[in-house]
Amino acid sequence: MDGITRREFIKIGAGAAIFSLLPKSLLAKEENAGPMIGVAEGDNSKLVRAAVDLVGGIDRFVKSGDTVCIKPNISFASNIDCGATTNAAIVRQMVQLCLDANASRVIVMDHTIHDATLCVERSRIEEAIIDKKVNLVTLQQERQYAETEVPGGKELTTIGVAKAIQNADVLINMPVAKSHSATGVSFGLKGLMGLIWDRGYLHRVNLDRAIAELATVIKPDLTVVDATKALTTGGPGGPGKTVILNKVVAGIDPVAVDSYTVRIAQWYKKSWSGNQVKHIRAAAELGLGEIDTGKMRIKEVRV
Amino acid sequence: MSFLGLFILAFIQTRYSVPVTFQNLFFRFDPLIFIVVSIAYRTVLSASLLSISIIAATLVFGRFFCGFVCPLGTTIDVFGIFSGKDAGRKTKLKHWKYMILMFLVVGAILGVSFLHLLEPLVIFERSLTLFLHPVVAYVSGLFGLGAARVYTESMIALLVFALILGLDFISRRFWCRNLCPLGGLLASISTLAPFKIVFGEGCTQCGICEKICPTAAITVDSTSVDTGECVDCLRCINECPQKVFTYGLLPAPSRVDLNRRQLIGAVGTSIIVAPLARTLLHRRLLGTLIRPPGSIPEPDFLNTCIHCGKCMKVCPTNGLQPCILEAGVNGLWTPRLVSRIGGCEKNCNMCGQVCPTSAIRNLTPEEKTYAKIGTAVIDRARCIAWEQDRVCLICDEACPYNAISSLNETIRGTTLLRPFVNERICTGCGLCEARCPIEGRAAIEVFSIGEERKRRGSYITEEKIRLRALEEKEEDLPAGFIIDN
Repeated sequence: MDGITRREFIKIGAGAAIFSLLPKSLLAKEENAGPMIGVAEGDNSKLVRAAVDLVGGIDRFVKSGDTVCIKPNISFASNIDCGATTNAAIVRQMVQLCLDANASRVIVMDHTIHDATLCVERSRIEEAIIDKKVNLVTLQQERQYAETEVPGGKELTTIGVAKAIQNADVLINMPVAKSHSATGVSFGLKGLMGLIWDRGYLHRVNLDRAIAELATVIKPDLTVVDATKALTTGGPGGPGKTVILNKVVAGIDPVAVDSYTVRIAQWYKKSWSGNQVKHIRAAAELGLGEIDTGKMRIKEVRV
Repeated sequence: MSFLGLFILAFIQTRYSVPVTFQNLFFRFDPLIFIVVSIAYRTVLSASLLSISIIAATLVFGRFFCGFVCPLGTTIDVFGIFSGKDAGRKTKLKHWKYMILMFLVVGAILGVSFLHLLEPLVIFERSLTLFLHPVVAYVSGLFGLGAARVYTESMIALLVFALILGLDFISRRFWCRNLCPLGGLLASISTLAPFKIVFGEGCTQCGICEKICPTAAITVDSTSVDTGECVDCLRCINECPQKVFTYGLLPAPSRVDLNRRQLIGAVGTSIIVAPLARTLLHRRLLGTLIRPPGSIPEPDFLNTCIHCGKCMKVCPTNGLQPCILEAGVNGLWTPRLVSRIGGCEKNCNMCGQVCPTSAIRNLTPEEKTYAKIGTAVIDRARCIAWEQDRVCLICDEACPYNAISSLNETIRGTTLLRPFVNERICTGCGLCEARCPIEGRAAIEVFSIGEERKRRGSYITEEKIRLRALEEKEEDLPAGFIIDN
């Protein structure tokens, strides 16, 4: 990453301070009525804007001059038809939205599991790098992370979290809807493991609980799930069965988004609810969001 | 200089996602590789037939290759500025290069290739791969650019290179004049060349030419130029104040400087050393030696591989590493897959594309996935899913062939998904071993069990296709679900 000047730092800091005051009042209202979920279905080239508009529009999340981090899942060097990685065209739409909202910088990033060069090539993520203000960063080096405390953590006490998100104003999580051989499904919450240094450590402790604890430290401002296609078996790396859904799910509440997404397809040929997925349930139990789809305000639109 | 630049460009372009066109041409034009590998492998090395053009050109124009093309020669020349030795200082060892050439050829006849120890292009390429690239990658890493590059053996390669440059402190181009077997080969061919530097009339015995000749080929006293030594650098033509030198036709062959005693010495050394090259080569010691996919059978591989390191340079995961003693003493610097560092990527066939001698066959990306290089074995005592009841299954996640199944298994009352390897589907790519999250040795490791090594013919069989197409792998539901009611 480039360094930032002192002036930029002050600007960003001031912006963040003002920004942090704003949504609190908005959130407070929402908590009473349950979290909003925006679901757009139809033409793949319009889904992101439509879904984000349903939860308040991009201006609610990105202010002029903001630095935005977008975190797709490009962790696997699988070909795009495999469904293991976030569709680059969907990420590109989000990048465009951020630029439309006058973001000063957009950083698209992931800590890939397979070799970063191969992951970038196979996911075709460079198609989303459409402007000079947009950078692609792979988080493969330890110095890109800052050791961060996990308050009240049982499985995690400290964890190395990507510095980039701590320096940014907005974090947008863009997972792909897919199955997972260990955690059952892998959406937004599981995708947070792409923002930490030692992901293997989470497998050595209670994985489901550790993911929930990680979500107490990394809190995306917005989660947008690429469900244009879902890898319903053989995840997270594939190959497996894919179904075409042509959907994008957006929301602020990370638990609600994941819990809703559990219901949009059959995983391993079975229907599940968010309560049946251990890591989503653990996150709800930590008070990170609403797991009951009955208490969500779900807005749907066809485009 | 331009050829040195071209060689380095070929080195830089030896990387994943750049199609192989010119990257290995230097090696395929190298007549020494052609001769030694063809003899040792008992097959005419078709990839290197191009080198006949160099032999033919040398037969006409002399040893221009050494003066103009050889990147090691150019580097030594540049380094000569630092050594500060008079170029013309004579040494009495020039017959050594013919002895070394004979040593290589007799070794090849006995079925052992020692090419990697002495071939200049190979030494130069390997030096770039094993120590220059890691150094450049490290320095650029300090500025946040590029990925790190690490090899299990860099120091010996560095020492060899430093030694060759250091010899310049004895005399200029000490290596080229006295030791280089490719130089020896081209020198013996060039003695027949009709075109050469001709020592003309009008010499005032000023001695400038003797001082500047980098290979000490000129003797002023006898107004002669040793054609075998001359590398056609043309410095004498440019520097002579009387302009006595011309490059022209003089069809009088000179003789190779090797007497019978020296010849017997070289042959004898080969006969003694060649059998010892098999030290540490016992079959049962090779269980952890994983060769790149498409490698020809091991004895042929050792004779065909020139240990140049191009496959290691191009490997996108850094998993191809130089052997130290794993393939026997003579297998030093041959490639082996060290899966703990990086596995073999599914859709990549770069090592086979780039191999200049086809020791690694150039398989299509699809066929490569059928070339089994080993089998993964789970060490249940180390595996945290088996031994510590953890929800891990990273190996299952990493496997691109669905060769690892996660199945419920009850151990002392705890039912949990635990990994199993389907050895009929496993290709030995090692992506699981690379990703295994435990410290130190992985709990899943690839051994050369079931590896397939073929000189020719396809690796794809109907049985393999059928096994892969089995609709879905056997799998229990992930542990991340709560299966209630």
